[in-house]
Amino acid sequence: MKSGVRDQVSNFLLKYGVITTLVILIVFFSLTTRAFFTLDNFFDILRAVSILTIVSIGVTFSVVVGGIDASVGSVAGLAVMLSTALMVIWQVPWYWAIIACLMAGTMVGLLNSFLILKLRIPDLLATVGTLYLVQGLQMWISKGDAVYRGMTNPWDPIRSVTKGFIPRQFLVLGQGFVFRTPQFRGIPVPVLIMLAVVFTTWFFLEFTRFGRAFYAIGGNMEAARLAGIPVKRYRTVAYIISSLFATLGGIVLASRIGSGAVKAGDPYLLDAVASTYFGFAVLGMRRPNPWGTFLGAVFVGVMLNGLTMLNVPWYIQDVIKGLVLVSALGISFAIKKEIR
Amino acid sequence: MRRGERAGRTALPLLFMSVLRGEGLSKRFGGVEALNGVDIEIRSGSVHALVGANGAGKSTLVKILTGYYDSYEGQVTIDGQPIQLRRPTDAFRSGIEVVHQEVDIQLVPNLTVAENLYLEALATGDSGTVLSLRKLEREAKTYLESIGFSLSVRVKVQDLSLHEKQLLVIARALLHNVRFLILDEPTASLSFLESQKLFQLVRSLKQKGVAILYITQRLDDLPNVVDEVTVLRSGKKAAYFNRLPELTKIVEAMLDMPEIDLFPKDRRVSLGETVMKVENLSWRNKVRGLSFEARRGEILVLTGLTGAGKTETLKLLFGALQPDKGRIFIDGKVVEIKNPTLAIRHGVYMVPEERRKEALILDKTARENITMPFMKNFCGPFQKVDRSLETKYAVETAKRVALVPLDVEKQAQYFSGGNQQKIVLGRWLAGNPKVLLLDEPTQGVDVGAKKEIYHLIASVTNKCAVILATSDINEAIGIGDRILVMRDGKIVAEFAKENADPKEILSYATGVKA
Repeated sequence: MKSGVRDQVSNFLLKYGVITTLVILIVFFSLTTRAFFTLDNFFDILRAVSILTIVSIGVTFSVVVGGIDASVGSVAGLAVMLSTALMVIWQVPWYWAIIACLMAGTMVGLLNSFLILKLRIPDLLATVGTLYLVQGLQMWISKGDAVYRGMTNPWDPIRSVTKGFIPRQFLVLGQGFVFRTPQFRGIPVPVLIMLAVVFTTWFFLEFTRFGRAFYAIGGNMEAARLAGIPVKRYRTVAYIISSLFATLGGIVLASRIGSGAVKAGDPYLLDAVASTYFGFAVLGMRRPNPWGTFLGAVFVGVMLNGLTMLNVPWYIQDVIKGLVLVSALGISFAIKKEIR
Repeated sequence: MRRGERAGRTALPLLFMSVLRGEGLSKRFGGVEALNGVDIEIRSGSVHALVGANGAGKSTLVKILTGYYDSYEGQVTIDGQPIQLRRPTDAFRSGIEVVHQEVDIQLVPNLTVAENLYLEALATGDSGTVLSLRKLEREAKTYLESIGFSLSVRVKVQDLSLHEKQLLVIARALLHNVRFLILDEPTASLSFLESQKLFQLVRSLKQKGVAILYITQRLDDLPNVVDEVTVLRSGKKAAYFNRLPELTKIVEAMLDMPEIDLFPKDRRVSLGETVMKVENLSWRNKVRGLSFEARRGEILVLTGLTGAGKTETLKLLFGALQPDKGRIFIDGKVVEIKNPTLAIRHGVYMVPEERRKEALILDKTARENITMPFMKNFCGPFQKVDRSLETKYAVETAKRVALVPLDVEKQAQYFSGGNQQKIVLGRWLAGNPKVLLLDEPTQGVDVGAKKEIYHLIASVTNKCAVILATSDINEAIGIGDRILVMRDGKIVAEFAKENADPKEILSYATGVKA
């Protein structure tokens, strides 16, 4: 009987460890800070993690097929620079800017899958290579300058002042609110985009035969191949999706900051990988899954938001983030071992 | 012991006799007796051959002697002194070393010959902390020359041929002053010329006073090297010859009593049209110019030793490998089977040999494993999986193959070997097979499940042709309507069921007859 209780405790920890910690964190922050437990702050947190979640979902795809995409941060950054530069420097309509970014993202995804599948470079190495390549391209677009209204055109020999600007339609993506009422500020648009991404991915991965094939490839690539699943095609698609979500994240980010800041996408790489791995532990699924990734991102967001409100210095926040990730993974995998 | 001493000592002939004796060696796994009271004696200056079919217990015996298991029954003595073999280091200290069939696991591919030669000294720190690579290479060169091996010391092991890798491992064993050398299927993948060189080396090692246990299934090796022979069968010692007997005697001793009631008896074969034809199929040096055809309604068996090219042949037919030469016809038309996906579209399905590695996704449920190849059948709009339809089909399949336990929501890894195989077989029933390829379908399967699997196979032949690869000769004769014997990638004999004789087949497979 004793072992039964222990098993139950470890099972509970495994399944609800992250969620429990999340609830504890929320209660703790609500009690210690005044502004924390409000609807506005709730959406602020969601908005703060929306871009991260979108990028993380992309990473989740690459992890589902048993790989990893390390280029997402710089791909997001590329979308930031490309979209803003197109609108500001070359005065391209906002929708063409978005389409150009999505195309660029697709190209990066194709490049990644070419390196990994055709040249057989290990996932991590190949995508780290692309990371640098794309990072360089992103800076080249504006010759290293930040992109903002009224900047001088870096490509013009006489450096004339640019005439373009980022239109309202584009800014809505990152800054807008919908369902506004007199008492309520409204739901931030990026939160809606994020939820749409998570929902579609969830449906796609959990309920369609394509999702089944993705997980099968991650579970046992050779078995999947010998069961007739076109493994290469699926892996290619996974890397393209990963790049596309990174691009989408970058577009929302550009809209959110309203200008093109060089390397703005960089920090998303590590956080996205962390959220994806957090996702392993959520609900004890022990495999990458969109809701887990979402909760992982929220977890990171809540923690940072709360810590900021507690006036914990920024340089300590990373230490805490690292500790929490290590312990969440530690718990999840240690219990996994014991159960086996 | 320092390196220099060792190298110096090995150059001298051994002046004493050593005898390794194993008595009543037994090892069981779960309820299965892999080795059952086997006695064996290996002595200096003699080459002792250990032969037996797959699963006869050869590798279990080797593993006991090399300290792979931490427990076994029976006693091992060296020169009358009992020794314990619980760890690889125990065997090493007693002077027992092995050259594995897959010699790669014993070498570090990205290190040089010299570094691999002194690997043990490097690992234990005997070589000192700071290395002089040049000194190491010089020593290696002198040593290799002293024992008459021509290997260049600076080459990385990954660039060596299989034969050269074997030489290196043997040289290393000699460096360690090996007294008992075990060679595990050393000629399985060697060319004729390389084999001849190896035989020469074995003879010279014998002269040096090394005791050699030579494990093989290839009986035509034996006249070249062997002094005494032990035959294993089903984990027991079936025969011992103190000098090389007629090879046919060995073949007789190797053969197991067939368990006749395992196989379906009342199957009526009604041959249909030729569904698959193969012409001059070749792949590397593993498959050499195979030609055969398979007809609907028949079970065509490919048999032969491990490494004869059976697995590769099936993989070529399934598009998992691409042939260098040759044509494949399905229903009389040439087809190029570029990948398994295409093969399946043509109605060619395969149950691979290693089901845990190649067939199952272990942490997925039986249901998901069953429905994997034909998910399209269970999907609605947006390709959404219709779970109730899928579950219904999975349960029906599970019932049809008599899955135990009948729980399709259980993960594949928690089923027994036989039931895992039923999951894999069941998976293909949803399709419309023309040709069903089965690679060692009853390997690691208990007797009860074996019988069920044979009946299942027999039950699908009304729809398709079955091509079954097996190294178990009783299985070949029991289930096959027609039997092709393969050796070194070629078909060396063909038998119809009526005149299939186990002794004949084994003689062809082992090279006693050519």
